[in-house]
Amino acid sequence: MAKKIGVYICSGCGIGDALDIDALAKVATKEYKVPVCQKNAFFCGKEGVEVIKKDIAENEVTYVVIAGCSGRVNYDVFNFGPSVVLERVNLRERVVWTQEPDDEDTQMMAEDYLRITLAKLKNLELPEAYVIENCNKRVMVVGGGLAGMTSAVEVAKAGYEVVLVEKEDSLGGWLKRSYKIAPLNSPYTDPEDTGLEARVKEIEGNSNIKVYTSTTIEKTAGAPGMFDVTLKQGGGTLEEKVGAIILATGAVPYEPSKLGHLGYGASPNVVTQAQFEELAAKGTIARPSDGKAVQKVGFIQCAGSRDQEHLPYCSAACCVESIKQALYVKGQNSEAAVYVFYKDIRSSGQYEHFYKKAQSEGVMFIKADVTGVTDDGGNLTIEANDLLMGSPTMADELDMVVLANGMVPTTAFEDPAYGTEAQEEAACAAADAAPVPAPIIKSNILNLEYRQGPELPSLKYGFPDSHFICFPYETRRTGIYAAGSVRRPMDMSQAVGDATGAALKAVQCIEMTDKGGAVHPRSGDISFPDFQLNRCTQCKRCTEECPFGAINEDEKGNPLPNPTRCRRCGTCMGACPERIISFKNYSVPMLGNMLKSIEVPEEDEEKPRVLIFACENDAIPALDMAGINRLQYSKWVRIIPVRCLGSLNLVWINDAMSKGFDGVLLMGCKHGDDYQCHFMKGSELAGIRLSKVSETLDRLGLESERVYMTEVNVMDYDRIPKIINEFVEKIDKFGPNPMKGF
Amino acid sequence: MTGFNVSSGPLKYDTEFAREIYSLENGHHIKKCMQCGMCEVSCATRKEMDYSPRKMFLLLRTGQREEFFKSNTMWMCSTCLMCKVRCPRGVPIVDVMHDLKCYAISKGYTERAQAAFYQSFWKEIWSRGKQFEGGLMARYYLKRGWKDIRKDAFRMKDMGLTMLKHGRMPLMPPKSVKGLKDVQKLVEVAKAQLQKGADR
Amino acid sequence: MKYSFYPGCSMEATAVPYLKSFEAVAHALGIELKEIPDWNCCGATVASGVIGDYPAQVMTSRNLALAEPHGADIVVPCSSCYMNLAITNRKFKEDGHFRQMADEALASVGMKYGGSLNVRQIIDVMVNDVGLDTIKSKVKKPLTGLRVAGYVGCQTPRVFPWEFDDPEQPVFFDKIIEALGATPVKFPVKARCCGSSHSVAQPEITADSCYNIITSAQDDQAHLIAAVCPMCQLNLDAYQDLVKERHKLKTSMPVLFFTQLMAIAMDLPPDAWALKHNIVSPFTALAKFGVGK
Ligand code: SF4
Ligand code: SF4
Ligand code: SF4
Ligand code: SF4
Repeated sequence: MAKKIGVYICSGCGIGDALDIDALAKVATKEYKVPVCQKNAFFCGKEGVEVIKKDIAENEVTYVVIAGCSGRVNYDVFNFGPSVVLERVNLRERVVWTQEPDDEDTQMMAEDYLRITLAKLKNLELPEAYVIENCNKRVMVVGGGLAGMTSAVEVAKAGYEVVLVEKEDSLGGWLKRSYKIAPLNSPYTDPEDTGLEARVKEIEGNSNIKVYTSTTIEKTAGAPGMFDVTLKQGGGTLEEKVGAIILATGAVPYEPSKLGHLGYGASPNVVTQAQFEELAAKGTIARPSDGKAVQKVGFIQCAGSRDQEHLPYCSAACCVESIKQALYVKGQNSEAAVYVFYKDIRSSGQYEHFYKKAQSEGVMFIKADVTGVTDDGGNLTIEANDLLMGSPTMADELDMVVLANGMVPTTAFEDPAYGTEAQEEAACAAADAAPVPAPIIKSNILNLEYRQGPELPSLKYGFPDSHFICFPYETRRTGIYAAGSVRRPMDMSQAVGDATGAALKAVQCIEMTDKGGAVHPRSGDISFPDFQLNRCTQCKRCTEECPFGAINEDEKGNPLPNPTRCRRCGTCMGACPERIISFKNYSVPMLGNMLKSIEVPEEDEEKPRVLIFACENDAIPALDMAGINRLQYSKWVRIIPVRCLGSLNLVWINDAMSKGFDGVLLMGCKHGDDYQCHFMKGSELAGIRLSKVSETLDRLGLESERVYMTEVNVMDYDRIPKIINEFVEKIDKFGPNPMKGF
Repeated sequence: MTGFNVSSGPLKYDTEFAREIYSLENGHHIKKCMQCGMCEVSCATRKEMDYSPRKMFLLLRTGQREEFFKSNTMWMCSTCLMCKVRCPRGVPIVDVMHDLKCYAISKGYTERAQAAFYQSFWKEIWSRGKQFEGGLMARYYLKRGWKDIRKDAFRMKDMGLTMLKHGRMPLMPPKSVKGLKDVQKLVEVAKAQLQKGADR
Repeated sequence: MKYSFYPGCSMEATAVPYLKSFEAVAHALGIELKEIPDWNCCGATVASGVIGDYPAQVMTSRNLALAEPHGADIVVPCSSCYMNLAITNRKFKEDGHFRQMADEALASVGMKYGGSLNVRQIIDVMVNDVGLDTIKSKVKKPLTGLRVAGYVGCQTPRVFPWEFDDPEQPVFFDKIIEALGATPVKFPVKARCCGSSHSVAQPEITADSCYNIITSAQDDQAHLIAAVCPMCQLNLDAYQDLVKERHKLKTSMPVLFFTQLMAIAMDLPPDAWALKHNIVSPFTALAKFGVGK
């Protein structure tokens, strides 16, 4: 496709009043020799759009540059099909709405933004999708409990084939071990039958679902649209090909033998919730020591959970479970005394009704810290500090004590069958001040053939890492979705919702993969990283750093990209010291040219320049919001959007400093345990890379504070002026960059 | 720990007393209270109460019989309904307060000024079918005994005179309701019905 | 517009000015009132606390039974009366068990209530039946420039939250004030409690509550307070000396029944204003509207 550029400068929305449009046009026509340049007072209007369309049709314009509003608006109006490259120069939100009108510096800013875009076009080509042959559209669901069964049914209902793998000899998971379950239906007041039979029947009767019981996974190779899974059943193995995977292996109760301080082990009458469930399923609930039907029962909540010594988190389901079990006791004998010692009752969602019901039935809820459980020859006593009464208290002559012992995800346990080999190797690779790889606990569930390790990376407490705020089911392995209590602690009603969400994500992923598009957050993006492998030094940076484990390695240690696993964040591109990774429409030289196109005035002009790399996911929207709210900020800054701070290549900092910029500000998403980075690890990795730059700058006698990284989310838009201005002031104090003019 | 000092030694839960309270007309609602404290911050007369409604319900649930009879909470309730419209658990707090007053009176806890006032007021209604300010006052002061009456009472007298002057304090009671016998019978029958319900 | 009228005990005694002004205003607005024959006390806030909710409600239901033959909705000005009558009436309509028991009790004195009536608060009738436009059209002497703190009181808006108004920040009463040409002030405590039930046993509580209300009206530069409930008016008016003394308050705040304001604005004869019954003198505040002793 011949590259013919058309620049369309809009003077609507006050742009024309604030800027000298003719001078701006000269940047395009004179400086950049752009063949087509048009001006219009209302490009987003019908006639304005026609002008552009006409140029495309009759004038063979293939690269359209619209200088006007933000690319985040009017994207539907300015849509010229896939064969046209479209770039938007944001003169409105980024210049005229944040700067003084009719001012020399404002005009310089606008002209620079046009230059940045025109420079970008030099290295930009239309991407072509990476489409795999015979994209597999089946979904494998791992785990046949409530969440897994729900996902299977939902995927099948959407018209896709399902392979459901369960390691036990029958489906059901916790439902099999439950007498009844907390209500899933309105009015949410009474325990319900598990409905296990009907659920299993629905699955068995669905020809789209293939069930494997007594089966585990020996190996999962491949990538979205083409996973090859080796199943282990009995002595043998068999193969299944699928396009996406849902992990729904659930959680197990916290080990009660660690709860000796709450009386576990001291008396057979102190039991866990699971054990109490078994007793209830047998018929009359009788205490284990002598078979006496229970008349007085104490429940201890948060037994292990929300306890720094045990599980620091809330297990989320045990309050509701205890409410259910308390109702069993009341159902058996309405005169029975039931005490629930709690920290907080967390009966979220509709379960408030369930809690209220238990209260109305006379279950007594006591907000207390339990200090001890003692056995006086059959009867038990719970001693506690009643926090509402502000007094030590006790409940004695209890027949049984039930410990709400919380849950631990199945992914949290390292299978001893594993050696430590892989881990050591990872540690070696990480030695060179590189980021610490995410913990991958070898739980022997998926056994992924991924360079970074065999299971999903976890974040905390052994739960698979997933973007909690924005895309909760998206784990750090594209095409693999975690659902139910393996993802985070949750009750059954939440697990059902979760399983449905994951089913949707799996189907989306398959369809996107089939078209060669990315999944969240760059949904539909067809660009993908290209590796110029002949120049690769096998440094492993890309294979280590890709947050999604997209890159494997061949025997010789060369990176083996898997484009369908890729989320298009560009972290590999930022990591590669040889700069051999690039996208058709996003590359190291491209960004380099963009920043070099900015005019940096001489020192004596006293016009400092500060370069801002801003993440497209949150920082750019926040900057737009600042503009929409007409918040004014420093006229010395020039902003270049990046896909993710993870794509930041250090050479850009180098380029910026040698070009004479006085400072560089990086705006990205929050990182750490409660990260908001849309690519999960991108901003964290950028931070680590940056720490290396500081040394270099210091060595050159440049203040390392000239390069600074800050966290911005959309809601921070009102802080934008403060962030920018404070940085600019700080840079001002250092004085001009001594490399200016070289 | 700041406590209620309800007992020395560990507190024990007296479910029997709690059950008795739950059996009052609106008593079962107390069980639904989740101790959120909304009533406490909404209450018009919270600062006059020794225990807020929330704390009162806690005392009742845990069976603090003594503490309940000592408390002034229900007597301080001014029936403003704020708590009732705000309680997230739908506890009709005012109605519970009615029950607690009745219960305290029925157990002979009548020495509070409010209890005397309530009883005098009721006697007025009972004997006339209507309420008459003058009659109410007379009964009230009779019940309280003059020596108990504080300085304010004299001011109340002044107030009475002012009202008289403005034609707002009739000296003669209104005519009794003609159907007074019916009024009384209705009350008796209703009480008996309640009793029967409770016995059942 | 026909209504059964339940005046309640105070209307006949401490709230005479309410009765006088309301009857005159009702007449002028074309409201026909028929007092419920031989009505009895609703029990106020007290009967329930001595004999229990249910017996008190049965006692109240006698009034409903007496009103039913007239076939018109019952209008109630007093907040406690409204509370008791309206709740009892609602129970007849919605609580089958209650109705069965209460029917049985009523039958024992040869009475019956079929549940056909509605119990209506006076503001509700003014706004929704009479209508603000009609009120406006009857205003001959708009109270322009008069700043009025509309005190709705506690029970009136809260018996059935949201059914005709906001339970905590009611608005309709202010709209009536507006219709009279006056300016309703912000007055955030318009639905707080006046402490009425303590007026005898512990008058300081009443005085303190009234102090909050009066000073809030003063803070908003109100010329006077308009009240809906006979007890609120009495407390704010008759206890004002006590309030002033206890809290070292200097200025007075006249407190009128809103129907008195209506009577003035509608230019009804001074008898209908019934201002001589007001304890804190309203004459200075109303002087510019030609209101004198
Ligand atoms: S759900 Fe309840 S019992 Fe379980 S950890 Fe959370 S607060 Fe504790
Ligand atoms: S672009 Fe991102 S997801 Fe794709 S291979 Fe590179 S680092 Fe991995
Ligand atoms: S508002 Fe209701 S639930 Fe909350 S403390 Fe008061 S009575 Fe209990
Ligand atoms: S009704 Fe009684 S308890 Fe409730 S807020 Fe009013 S004064 Fe307090």
